[in-house]
Amino acid sequence: MRHLPYLWTLLFLTLAVIFSIAIGSVFIPPADLGRILVGWLTGAKFPEPLKTFAFIIASIRLPRIALVLLTGAALGGSGAAYQGLFRNPLADPYLIGVASGAGLGAVLTMSVKWPYSFWGLMAVPAAAFVGALLTVFLVYALARLGKTVPTTNLILAGVAFSSFATALTSFLMLRSTGELRRAISWLLGGASQAGWGPVLTVLPYLAIGLGILLLSGHALNLLQFGDDQAQQLGLNVTRTRTLILLAASLATAAAVSFSGIIGFIGLIVPHVMRLWFGADYRRLLLLSIIGGAGVLLLADVIARSVMAPQELPVGIVTALAGAPFFLWVLRRAKNQGYW
Amino acid sequence: MSRKLTFAILTFVLLLAACGQVPKGGGPARTSTPVATSTEIPTLTPPSDTSIILTDDLGRMVTLASPAQRIISLAPSNTEILFAIGAGTQVVGRDETSDYPEEAKHLPTVGGWSGFSSESIVALHPDLVLAADTNPAELIASLENLGLTVYRLPNPLTLEELYLNLGTVGALTGHETDAAALVESLKVRVAAVDAKVATITERPTVYYELDATDPTKPYVAGHAGPTNFVDPLITRAGGANIGAQLQSEWPQISLEQLVADNPQFILLGDAAYGETPEKVAARTGWNVLTAVQTGQVYPIDYHLVSIPGPRLVDGLETLAKLLHPDLFK
Repeated sequence: MRHLPYLWTLLFLTLAVIFSIAIGSVFIPPADLGRILVGWLTGAKFPEPLKTFAFIIASIRLPRIALVLLTGAALGGSGAAYQGLFRNPLADPYLIGVASGAGLGAVLTMSVKWPYSFWGLMAVPAAAFVGALLTVFLVYALARLGKTVPTTNLILAGVAFSSFATALTSFLMLRSTGELRRAISWLLGGASQAGWGPVLTVLPYLAIGLGILLLSGHALNLLQFGDDQAQQLGLNVTRTRTLILLAASLATAAAVSFSGIIGFIGLIVPHVMRLWFGADYRRLLLLSIIGGAGVLLLADVIARSVMAPQELPVGIVTALAGAPFFLWVLRRAKNQGYW
Repeated sequence: MSRKLTFAILTFVLLLAACGQVPKGGGPARTSTPVATSTEIPTLTPPSDTSIILTDDLGRMVTLASPAQRIISLAPSNTEILFAIGAGTQVVGRDETSDYPEEAKHLPTVGGWSGFSSESIVALHPDLVLAADTNPAELIASLENLGLTVYRLPNPLTLEELYLNLGTVGALTGHETDAAALVESLKVRVAAVDAKVATITERPTVYYELDATDPTKPYVAGHAGPTNFVDPLITRAGGANIGAQLQSEWPQISLEQLVADNPQFILLGDAAYGETPEKVAARTGWNVLTAVQTGQVYPIDYHLVSIPGPRLVDGLETLAKLLHPDLFK
């Protein structure tokens, strides 16, 4: 299994996609599923009930799968980048406060009644996105020491700002009358807006963010030796760190703006990939991106079906399932001497 | 040098991407495009003599070619209204929290307090989805993008606005006469209560409890608003809500404030969750309240005063009987 990382991860992703298409609150028999796929390829018209099933798959499940794929990819990739940047196994994409900033932005806008228009509906995701990025800039500015940005400072500033933002968010939630459930639901994570709109909105930012990260594999490998060693090996540490930080934060901000705060993907997926396939960041970043997408897809399937027709927030599923699974992988690795 | 160039290019591309997000035309309808060719885009029939055109709570103009025959209700208030005006047979789906009347419980559910499933809604082939204030605008937009007709009823602030809602649902379902008859009967009952309440000389002070998990800081009914119908009902039933001066619709009140206000009646809106007059009397510090000492602590079915449907009038009558038992034998 260690020798064909891309094959196995892509296989996992494909299986996850198939599960997501096939499973939902409306039961579509596998035979009908096959007929629909064949029908799409041959351009045939569908009789009922196939027409409804085809509509459900095309207009409801596929856009959602795309959004969840992108979110999982962003979280997995930026999680790997953060772990490489901070050389800390507990690092996740929310380390320097992206989650709390996004949450504050979202809850702040939820307390206002927006007009029913394109921009009115974009208010909450836009505010979450802006909140997340503003937090990163603020924390970065706070942590700068002359020309360098020590990682310790970043973490401390991030934790401090997170506490502040979380306190403000909690206060706003206490004061709200009707929006409390909506705020909690958003903070726990889950796809709130359907259709291709969110996918297309999020795609450019993810492409840029993840694109930069994929090119930073070598730099992250060098950073593992420590700042001084990396500098001596020819890497401009501060500039690289800033670039990777911004790219990872951009991807995370775009991911959380529509999907809320989904935890554990950015923490666990890179770890598992590292345990199974080694710590070479040139490979690890891509594997974490693919793996993150697959894991979040599976979590979303569970979230959609466990309480159908209601939906469990995805963040709950990732937390409940992710932690025990990670402990199991850790134990196996310990026994086999990878640690 | 090349690093600076990279930075510049990236910033430029970022700005381009941001600019690309500006929409080129109105409304939420542009945000989704079905992929497969076999999906059907509903055709817009031109308004005919039987068509119904109404503007909903979000300012959207909703058009129905004929009265809706397959309705999905996304809130318990809508379900109650639909069944009350005789349109129960036209309802094909409901949300989990719609449990009144009994017939409604047999309908399939499409979601509830933790979100709705667009798939389940679409699979029921509705011609109208009746939403309420509790359903967020994002859900309405998603359903609209899937080609469904959605109408969101506003939350009434007064009983008169409730009558308007009944009329609207009557128009949407082809039960205008039934809805009008229901409104008339409700008006008669309310007028009877108003007449008797007009004769009272003093208004007893009332404390309506929402949640007292922390007995030193219980949640009470505050001032009237879109989510608080209890306050106007108490006033109309001849009482004075002690929470009416507080800043929000469902605020917390400290025990000190409660003792200072010393209400004559305590209404337990959380009776359904196990609160009883005995438990209230046993709470530390609550035995100094007049209402506890004189036994004027009553459980009340919160459905009668919280769901903006015809049962609000039942709630009004119940409150009036509790507050002025001598007038309402």
